[in-house]
Amino acid sequence: MTSKPRSATETIRNLWERLLVDPTLGVISLLLIFALIAAFALPVFYAGNNIYNLVGSSITVMILSIGMTVVLISGGIDLSVGAVMALCAGVAATVLKMGAPLFVAFVCAILVGIAAGLLNGLLVTRVGLPDFIATLAMLGFASGVLYIATQGVPIIGYMTSEYYIVGGLDPLVGPVTFPILVAVVLALIVGWVLSRTKLGTHFFAVGSNAVASRQSGIPVRWVKTQAYMLSGTCAAVAGIILAGRNNNVPADLGTGYEIQAISAAIIGGASLMGGRGRVLGAVLGALTLALAINIINLAGVPSSFQKIVIGVILILAVIANYLSELARGATQRRRAKRLSSIDA
Amino acid sequence: MTDRAETPSAQSLVLEARGVTKHYEGVTALDHATLAVGPGEVHALLGGNGAGKSTLISIISGVTKPDSGKILLGGEVMPASGPLAAISAGISTIYQELSLVPALSVLDNIFLGREIKRKTLGLPLTSDRRSMELAVRDLAADFGVTANELHTPVSEFGALKKRSIEIVKALAFDPKVLILDEPTSGLEDAERQVLFGYMRSMRERGVSLVWVTHHLEELFGLADKATVFKDGRTVATVATESTSIDKLITLMFGADREEFGGGDTRKIAHLQPSSERPVILRARNLTRGSVVRDISLDVHEGEIVGLAGLAGAGRTEVVRTLMGLDALTSGSVELNGRRLSLRNSTAAYRAGLAMLPEDRKQLGILADLSTAQNISISRLSTVTAAGFWMSRRKELALAESYRGQLGIKTPDVNARIGNLSGGNQQKAIVARCLNTSPKLLIFDEPTQGIDVSAKVEVHALVRDYAANGGAAILIASEIEELLELSHRVLVLKKGQIVGEVRNIPAAIEAGEFARIKSEVLTLSAAGQAS
Amino acid sequence: MKSSSPLARIMAIRGMPMTLVLILTVVIFQVLNPVFLDGKTVGNYITNGIPIMLITLGVAIVIIGGGIDLSVGTVAGLSAGTTMFTLVQGAPLVAGIAVGCGTGLLFGLINGFLVAYMRINDFIVTLATLNIAAGLLVVLSQVQPLQGVSVPGFAELTKGDLFGIPTSFFIAGALFVIAQIMLAKTIIGRRLYAVGISSQASNVAGVSVPHLRLFTFAASGLLAGVAGVLLASRLGAVQAFLGIGYEFIAIAGAVIGGISLAGGGGSVWAAFVGGLFLATLQQGLRLNNVDPVYFSIVTALAIVFGVVFERQVRRVILRAALHRTALFSTDQPRATEDESVVASSEGSNNNDK
Repeated sequence: MTSKPRSATETIRNLWERLLVDPTLGVISLLLIFALIAAFALPVFYAGNNIYNLVGSSITVMILSIGMTVVLISGGIDLSVGAVMALCAGVAATVLKMGAPLFVAFVCAILVGIAAGLLNGLLVTRVGLPDFIATLAMLGFASGVLYIATQGVPIIGYMTSEYYIVGGLDPLVGPVTFPILVAVVLALIVGWVLSRTKLGTHFFAVGSNAVASRQSGIPVRWVKTQAYMLSGTCAAVAGIILAGRNNNVPADLGTGYEIQAISAAIIGGASLMGGRGRVLGAVLGALTLALAINIINLAGVPSSFQKIVIGVILILAVIANYLSELARGATQRRRAKRLSSIDA
Repeated sequence: MTDRAETPSAQSLVLEARGVTKHYEGVTALDHATLAVGPGEVHALLGGNGAGKSTLISIISGVTKPDSGKILLGGEVMPASGPLAAISAGISTIYQELSLVPALSVLDNIFLGREIKRKTLGLPLTSDRRSMELAVRDLAADFGVTANELHTPVSEFGALKKRSIEIVKALAFDPKVLILDEPTSGLEDAERQVLFGYMRSMRERGVSLVWVTHHLEELFGLADKATVFKDGRTVATVATESTSIDKLITLMFGADREEFGGGDTRKIAHLQPSSERPVILRARNLTRGSVVRDISLDVHEGEIVGLAGLAGAGRTEVVRTLMGLDALTSGSVELNGRRLSLRNSTAAYRAGLAMLPEDRKQLGILADLSTAQNISISRLSTVTAAGFWMSRRKELALAESYRGQLGIKTPDVNARIGNLSGGNQQKAIVARCLNTSPKLLIFDEPTQGIDVSAKVEVHALVRDYAANGGAAILIASEIEELLELSHRVLVLKKGQIVGEVRNIPAAIEAGEFARIKSEVLTLSAAGQAS
Repeated sequence: MKSSSPLARIMAIRGMPMTLVLILTVVIFQVLNPVFLDGKTVGNYITNGIPIMLITLGVAIVIIGGGIDLSVGTVAGLSAGTTMFTLVQGAPLVAGIAVGCGTGLLFGLINGFLVAYMRINDFIVTLATLNIAAGLLVVLSQVQPLQGVSVPGFAELTKGDLFGIPTSFFIAGALFVIAQIMLAKTIIGRRLYAVGISSQASNVAGVSVPHLRLFTFAASGLLAGVAGVLLASRLGAVQAFLGIGYEFIAIAGAVIGGISLAGGGGSVWAAFVGGLFLATLQQGLRLNNVDPVYFSIVTALAIVFGVVFERQVRRVILRAALHRTALFSTDQPRATEDESVVASSEGSNNNDK
């Protein structure tokens, strides 16, 4: 019954096809290409400090894109991540300033993130707003609240020595910073949820075929809401770290992060159609994005071009995604055909 | 068998519906409907469109809540608390639309919503795929799903395999009742037989089957009883061995067979064989990947050419390439001797092709536009002033003329077409096609999902179109319909033409309907490309 | 049946409920602060609101055609920037206007090309071009300070008047009338609604969907360009962040005016009323000394409110229509059709983009 590869060539062909079918392959090769370009063209690239900064700067987007991937898998999209992240950063900073311990501030921020996600979920599943409209409204709402709270003046003076560690400005152990640790742990947990738990299966099911999921008795609305809550939580975690890294919380802290998070998730193989995506892909996607920005910075392009580059990368990522989907479809069909002929 | 046909006492009933009523925004879908299903029984639900069958099964399977009435399972009242409760109480449902999740593996689909869990850190969090596989492996093998295939995403399988997977999914939790809503849709005759075999083996396992179908001829030899619905009410429950198709039709529609024209040779007689008349469409070597392979066909003036074949044979794909909806890899099409470039559908309509698509709701009607606007959309130049400005007056006049001509029943041609019945919507689409004065009209499943009386009218429209000198291509999965309407049938298999049956009207007149039917079916199942 | 009462039928006209809400709002603000309806104040705030109302109109056209355009705000900002940039170089007024409108049109065409012919999700494409336009404006403003233009006639585009009516009223009025005629009276308008209702079915019926998609984005881009020119004229100086967040107000305006996000439903009047309502609200809050940042929160709430309201009204229309049809022909119950109505209104949370 099992289709064991019968010869070496077949093994190689199977391996090659598995690579083609694998959604993470594209992003890995992209990452390699970028790294190679950087290595040859820009010798400064491999200066220890640079890579260290690069990883550090990618953490925020990485954490956001992990949450975004889950939302995309469940068939939605979350435009509010940047604004919610900034709001949570503001909450953490404000609570700290009031003299509360670090832990309490973090819990407050995370609760706000979860609440924002819950609200997103309810707007989408109960009120019936299209997801990008609901989360666009949340973007306006969250940034409005932060603006009113700060009156346009950045929140400062909340940093403590522990917060320097949390923000990654001071390392934790050796070269490993706290944000890196958090990102790794978060990626592992979410990856485990997606591949090994019932909830993970349900995220995929709801995004791939909502009607069938409902008929199978899956609480579709609640599953979708949970995806938004997870994304809200990720936004809160990112906000806590960013507040530590940034030293201050301006009202526009989160502007433009949503597009980076979406780009990273899509580069990592998540589909806007739902039902597909990978945590590892999102992580690598965030690294790729940071790498691209790093390269243009090193190449002496003014930082004002960053937005333009990210916009272009997003479009290219979606085109690449679309093309690889076509290729994958063709490969899968070939594979299925061969498997069935073996069975017969 | 005979004792099953007698009315069983209340205790021995597996499933019972009592006085179930459901309203949707002022329209009564079910009106005190009843149903009684005995153990190990195959029980068919029959009725025209809108009779309430689908609403009833959706209530039984917990997806819809009834306004009043109750469902009893094994004599006990079931609480109306969602699909999962119904599933765990022992009611499994296989829906008309394939309801599998393409992104998930077969195994995850089977256990969707009912995953077996394993403890992680003392909590039952992790899905235990090994136990799931063990639990379902033998059952899956019985229905032709290998252990290897259990871990393959569902998106990689075809229609019949997906039905098998759905059956495994439905049986995996030892249901007492299995509901099948039009399980043969999307399957063709050979595959249907396989499915019926599965249904028999389910009955032998002691499962009661509730089976919704439109195809009355399928019932005999398989169903024990049939309950007929009309206008949301239960009309009668009969034992199939003591009834006939004619009797069932009388129950369903209060009309007899004559009216819905099955095998009516009078209508066919006036159609002339037409291969001597000029060729309208000449398609040569049409190829689209591996879906459409080297198809060549001619359609003459006044001729209806039928395309036969099993599901996936490529019939719809062929006409979609003709309409410019899908791109051709190679091949050429001439209309009245002029070579067409099939860039897109707009070009196809401009050249003189028109199509009535399959799947009326998705591809046919523009639900929020009015009937008049739906009729004019394909050739707006017929209702404009100076070719650019819409003329309400002209549009209305056009719609009114088609309303009279085709018998479209609507209070107001300016009302939303989505509120019309399926048959009237279909007539409006025919009007849309006719309004483009097509040289060739393609009918893709013209009677899909419309009720019997509307079917007869649509058949008349197709015949009239050809009788007036139009050329047509017809696709119909119901072989009887295809043969009654076509002059000539081309049989497709795996995207290729594997055979041709000519002079069908003459053959039917000579009483050889059964012979050509079996000829077409044999070709569809076992034909070889020459 | 209650639902087919004359009142219900009047309310069912698209944009009508919002028109009443708008009148009510004006009355409330007038009572709160009698300066509100002062001729000059009204002229001013509407002049200020016109660029966003034009953007709203553009977004509305895209939404009716079944798409979405998030880029309009920053494209308008960039158009203002390029207009200013051209005029700062000493070019004549006409050139400045042409460059501004051209910038908008160019972005519209790029969006349209990527969406219609490359088949990329419109929401992603326009999110990307939103960022690209915003980035370009930053770069542009670093190349050259975008202010200090004294080309004759430029400021008069918004500040001048004709027979006592502000000039920009005529520009905006003409564009709204053209859009209204196009949507209601021409072939393009009819096809636009068809594509918005179902692009698949329209394609099968022979409507050229890609051409129409391209057209909607081009129209939206052009309107954003015009809005940008007017913005530059009114402000006299273009900041690097101009236009950010306008897309949000524009979409909100379209939605609360009664334009269905599902596509195929909406009118120019609805876009006009929705846009005017938000401008009025902003002005009313300002006059009553409410911090302007509350406006973004109010706008967010308005979107939610607008969608819910639109759906309720639609349900009433459908019920009335069903009732009429049911009265006429009793040959068949339409339970299945009715079910699909319920399902589609419940299932509108599934993004079918």
